[in-house]
Amino acid sequence: MKILIVEDDLEAAEAMARGLTEAGNEIVMAADGEAGLVEARKGGFEVMIVDRMMPKMDGVTLVETLRREGDGTPVLFLSALGEVGDRVTGLQAGADDYLVKPYAFAELIARVEALSRRRETGSVATVLKVGDLEMDLIGRTVHRAGKEIDLQPREFQLLEFMMRHAGQSVTRTMLLEKVWEYHFDPQTNVIDVHISRLRSKIDKGFDRPMLQTVRGAGYRLDA
Amino acid sequence: MRLPRIFRTTPFRLTLLILTLFLAAASALLAYIYVATAGEATRRTDQEIVREMRSLTAAYDRAGLDAVNQSLIERAASEQPFLYLLIGKDGKRVSGSIAASPVDKFNGQPTWTTFEVTDQDARGRTLKHPARGLQERLSGGEILFVGADVGEDEAYIDKVDRALFGAGALVIILGLSAGVLVSRNVSRSMAGLAGVLEAVNKGDLGARAEVRGTGDELDELAQGLNEMLDRLERSMAGHKHAGDAIAHDLRSPLTRLRARLEAAYIDVEAGKGDADRALAQALEDTDGVLKTFNAVLAIARLQAAGSAPDPVLFDPGELAADISELYEPLCEDKGVDFAAEVAQGLQVRGNREFLAQAIANLLDNAVKYTPAGGAIMLRVRRRSSGEVEFSVTDTGPGVPETDRARVVERFVRLENSRNQPGAGLGLSLVAAVAEAHGGRLELDEGPGKVGDSGPGLRVALILPRAA
Repeated sequence: MKILIVEDDLEAAEAMARGLTEAGNEIVMAADGEAGLVEARKGGFEVMIVDRMMPKMDGVTLVETLRREGDGTPVLFLSALGEVGDRVTGLQAGADDYLVKPYAFAELIARVEALSRRRETGSVATVLKVGDLEMDLIGRTVHRAGKEIDLQPREFQLLEFMMRHAGQSVTRTMLLEKVWEYHFDPQTNVIDVHISRLRSKIDKGFDRPMLQTVRGAGYRLDA
Repeated sequence: MRLPRIFRTTPFRLTLLILTLFLAAASALLAYIYVATAGEATRRTDQEIVREMRSLTAAYDRAGLDAVNQSLIERAASEQPFLYLLIGKDGKRVSGSIAASPVDKFNGQPTWTTFEVTDQDARGRTLKHPARGLQERLSGGEILFVGADVGEDEAYIDKVDRALFGAGALVIILGLSAGVLVSRNVSRSMAGLAGVLEAVNKGDLGARAEVRGTGDELDELAQGLNEMLDRLERSMAGHKHAGDAIAHDLRSPLTRLRARLEAAYIDVEAGKGDADRALAQALEDTDGVLKTFNAVLAIARLQAAGSAPDPVLFDPGELAADISELYEPLCEDKGVDFAAEVAQGLQVRGNREFLAQAIANLLDNAVKYTPAGGAIMLRVRRRSSGEVEFSVTDTGPGVPETDRARVVERFVRLENSRNQPGAGLGLSLVAAVAEAHGGRLELDEGPGKVGDSGPGLRVALILPRAA
């Protein structure tokens, strides 16, 4: 997929570009907000990674300008500012996700992938299907290979998120943010326990486990 | 050329303005006094001259020139203040006490004039006196001049003039001195304040203005300045303390990280180390440093701000239930009994995210230090005081009573707790969150000692009643 990186820290941008290229993406880089706007207007990007504080035009202005011009390309904001208020202004400007520096590269990849996928599932599906796993969003039921699986409400939300991002790595932080809507680092492995419970429900008794642990990154739901 | 400093001060300028106004008023008053005294003396002399003139012309009209002449001769013999001159129709002097008329041009109309008469004192010195007189033509054509020596009047007027000038000068001198005094006094106070500002500008936050206890506005200003500086100094000390704490808290893990990386580098270079493991370890250490950094930064920001950002009104019970749901499986996994006792329908005002993090930190600590078979209880209730209390009770080893107070102190606690099992930076953040919400943290013993476990710890985050 084609990704635009707008970042004035060239070393950070290079590292990002290298990693994302290795992951099979095509990268375009811009070193400041104005150059970023020029590139973004050319179009054709699936995701844009935009640094918040940049010379000439900051990230907030860049994203606001693009949104005003009707460009809905998913944007991941990168910022050294991690306060609640900073995140809120970033998202209000029109960014789709917000990642505080410094970040683990796995986190960046996972979030970029999640953003690109989000666009595809923009349609209002009432049933999610991943392999033999089926989720009815209206009936609030889950079946695997025709067998009903009983889930707690939070487990249901957790599985829904994993299914919407099937085949992608999702990190613990992402799960905490998107499923529980908390923005802090727990000092204990709270998320792991929830995942292992979910895993015991959807994988137990089936010969092929779907919920995989990705070392150094998080989890992935495979078909 | 610049005026000396004192003349440029505001009080001096004000004094000058007031002095000008005062002088104008004083001049008006002095002018009135002059008119009422010196002017009166002149008027009275003139009236007397006119009366004498009338009396002589009446005598002339009644009894002729001889009667007037007779009168003049009689009067010359007696002590009286008037000067006379009678001039005949032919223009020659008939009689009188002065030799010639001081009136140069006489057109027959009554004419006033001012002139001088000479006199000799007892020692034979010639004295000149100012005099004033009126000259009229008599009905028969003769000319009569009546004058008066006004030397004494003039002396009196001179005295009045001198007194008035003296008074004026005195007003100016006193006014200027008062101005200088007042402005010097005010300037000295101002200079004190300016000196304090300059010292503060140069970095001496300990400088304070002198409060003289006069209660005037300058004193109030000095007091206000001092209070502001007190606050500023406390705040700066807080920031410095926060900076020191951040440096302390980050330096240790960074030192460890660096040492490990260095050791790994040497090992790998010598071909005996495992590069992958060393890198993985380094990454893990870095994440640890980042976590510490985030916690310390959050604490420092909360303490610097002094209040919770973006407060909202919310139900603390819902928040607690939400977090219970997050932590319950973890406890169960560890073989720890988890219970939540949450009062319904309470309201608190605060930053939901920070409070969520605070409760999560308390639960993190409880989970970490409660052995399998133990129990953790999260409770939300309203105290009789109206305050809302979140508490987490565990059956872990607890914190010795002597250490509890220290654990809740600002930053001191932070430093000590680093080496203390049972309370990491998490508790410091909880305390900072409580303080930022105008609340506090209380530490107590848990349920007590049961067999090998206990006595446990009860940490309560108490928030003020929502307004």
